[in-house]
Amino acid sequence: MADRPARGTSKDERQGMNPRVLLVIGRETLTLVVSAMVGSLVVFALLRLLGGDVALMILGQEAPPEAAAAMREELGLNRPWFVQYLDWIGGFFTGDVGRSYSGGYDIFEQIVARLGPTTLLAFGSLAVSILLALAIGTYSALNSRNAGGTAVDLFAQLGIAVPAFWAGLLLVYLFAVVLGWLPAGGYVPFLEDPLGSLVSLVLPVAALSLGSTAVKTRFVRSAMLDVMNEDYIRTAMAKGRTFNAAVLRHGLRNVAIPVLTVSTLQLGNLMAGAVVIENVFVLPGLGRLLLVAVQGREVLVVQSLALVILMIVLVMNFVMDLSYGLLDPRIADRRGRPAHG
Amino acid sequence: MAEALPPSTAPGAAPGAAAAAPARRHLPPSLVIGAVLVALVVGVALLSYVWTPHDPARINVRARLAPVGTPGYILGTDRVGRDMLTQIIVGARTSLYVSIVATLVALVLGTALGLATAASEGARQSVMARAIDVGVAIPGILIALVLATALEPGNTASIIAIIFWFIPIAARVTIGPARQILALDYVEAAYAYGRSRAYILWRHVLPNISPILIVQASIMFAAGILVEASLSFLGIGAQPPVASWGRLLKEAQPMIDVAPGLMVFPGLAIMVAVLGFNILGDGLRAWLDPRQITQAGH
Repeated sequence: MADRPARGTSKDERQGMNPRVLLVIGRETLTLVVSAMVGSLVVFALLRLLGGDVALMILGQEAPPEAAAAMREELGLNRPWFVQYLDWIGGFFTGDVGRSYSGGYDIFEQIVARLGPTTLLAFGSLAVSILLALAIGTYSALNSRNAGGTAVDLFAQLGIAVPAFWAGLLLVYLFAVVLGWLPAGGYVPFLEDPLGSLVSLVLPVAALSLGSTAVKTRFVRSAMLDVMNEDYIRTAMAKGRTFNAAVLRHGLRNVAIPVLTVSTLQLGNLMAGAVVIENVFVLPGLGRLLLVAVQGREVLVVQSLALVILMIVLVMNFVMDLSYGLLDPRIADRRGRPAHG
Repeated sequence: MAEALPPSTAPGAAPGAAAAAPARRHLPPSLVIGAVLVALVVGVALLSYVWTPHDPARINVRARLAPVGTPGYILGTDRVGRDMLTQIIVGARTSLYVSIVATLVALVLGTALGLATAASEGARQSVMARAIDVGVAIPGILIALVLATALEPGNTASIIAIIFWFIPIAARVTIGPARQILALDYVEAAYAYGRSRAYILWRHVLPNISPILIVQASIMFAAGILVEASLSFLGIGAQPPVASWGRLLKEAQPMIDVAPGLMVFPGLAIMVAVLGFNILGDGLRAWLDPRQITQAGH
C-alpha cells in the first residue's frame, strides 16, 4: 500500500536508509525476536506446568507406571527441560520436530502442507475486508452523510455481534444446502486447480471477513469524513477538481493509516477466526490439525502448531508495524508514548 | 469472531456534530437500547435458576426434532428431544458466567499492569508497553486451545484463557489515559505533598480513568460471550451436560440439511447478548464521554 510517504515528510527523509529508518527496523526486529523467544517458552512451559506429566496426558491418567516410563523414555522426557526445549526449537530449523504419537505423521511436514489453506483463508479475508471496507466506507461518506452513518454503524454492530462460525453455518445453509451453488466444505489445493480452490474458499472467506470488514468500514468512513474538512481538499477544489475527485485522490492516501492500524489490531482475531472457520468448513489447515491434536492431547503437536500460528501473527505484526513506521515516520515517534490511535 | 476489541475512536454517527457537544444530561438512545438488551439476557439467565419450560437435561425421544411452534415446545426440540427454549434459557447462564468472571478478573489485573506501566519511567516503560502490545496481538483462541490440552476442557479453562487474553488489552487501554492524568498539575502537587506513587494511582488516576474502564468492561463482556461460544462450538468449552449456545450450534451443524431450524435460535441468542453489551458500551461512551480524557489520541 502507498509507498509514497504521507504529507509532512521532508524530501531527504524519502531517500531511504537514513538513521531513523534503521532505528525503526532495528527496534521492530528486536521486538520480533524477543517476543518469539518469550512466546515459545511460554507455550512450552504452560503445557508442562499446567498439564503435568506429558506421558500421562497422552496415555491417560490411569496408565500403568511401566508404560508411562517407557513413553517418557521414548519421547525423551527424562532429559532436562532446557534440552527438551532447545531440541524442539532446533527441530524447526532442521525440519524434524518429531512425529505425532497417535496420528503417526511427521509434524513438520504436516505443518508445511497445511500452511497453504490457512494463509489463503486468512490473507484472502484480510484483502477482501480491506477492499470492501474502503469501498463501502468511502461510498457512504461521500454519498449519504447522515443515513450512511446510521447504516454503517448498524452494519458494524451486527458484523461484530454475529459470530463468524454462525455466519459460516448460515452461508452453508443458503448457498450449499438450499441453492447448491457452492460446496459446503472441503478444499481443493490451489496448485492443482486454482479456480476450484478459490470456489472452495468463497464461503469461508465470506464468513471470516464479515466482522473485520464491518469494523474497518466504520473507521474508513470516519477517516473519510475527517479528510473532507481538510484545507487541502479545498485547495484541490480551487484548482478545479470536483469535490469527490479531490477526496478520492487525496483522501484515500490518508485513510491508509487508520486502515492499517485497525488491520494490525485485527490480525490476532483473524488467525483465531481462521482456526474456527477451518473447523466449520473442514479445511485441512493448521487450525483443523490443531483442534484434532487438542482433542487427542498431543502435546508436541499442540505446542508446535501454537508456536507456528503465534509466529505468523508476530511476523504479520512486524510487517505491519514496519510499514507504518515507514509510511509515516511521525507515528514511530509517537508510539509507546501517551495515547495511541 | 471476538471482533469487538478495536475501540471505535470516532463513531461514524452524528457527522458534523462538532457543535452538539453539551448533550450530556440526556441519556443516549444507544445506552437505553443496550441496557434493555443486557437486562433481557441477564433476566433470562436469572430466570433459569427458578423456572425453565422443561427439565434442561430431560431427553424425550418421542418429541425429537419437533418443529418451531409445536405446543409445549415453542422453539422446537433437538435430535434427542430436548426443548430448544429451555436450552437457550439455561445457556444464557453459561455465557454470562464465563464472560463476566473472566472480564472482571482480567480488568483488575490488566488495569493494575497498565497503571504500573504508566507510572514507570524510561526504558522500563517502553519495554513494558511493547510487551503489552505484543500480548494484545496473541489470539485468545490460541491460548484457549493450549490450555484445553493442559487442563480438562470446560468453563474453567475458558475463563482462564479469556483472562490471559484480556489482561494485555485492559492494560493497553489504561496506559495512555493514565499517563495523561499523571502529567497533570494536581498529580505534581500530590507528589510534592509527599503522597506515594501507589496512593496517587489509586486515589487520583483510577477514578479519573474509570469511565474508560467501564466502557471497556462492557465491550469485553461482549467479546467474552463470543469467545465462550466459539470454544464451546469447537468442543473445548462447556462440556455436556452444561448447556451452552456455542455447543447447541455444534450439535446443529451435522443436522444442517435435516433440521436447519436448530441453528437459528442459539445464533440469535449470541447475537442479542453481544449486541446488547456492545451497544451498552457505545452508549456509556457517549454518556460518560471518556474522550475528554483521551482527547490526544485521534
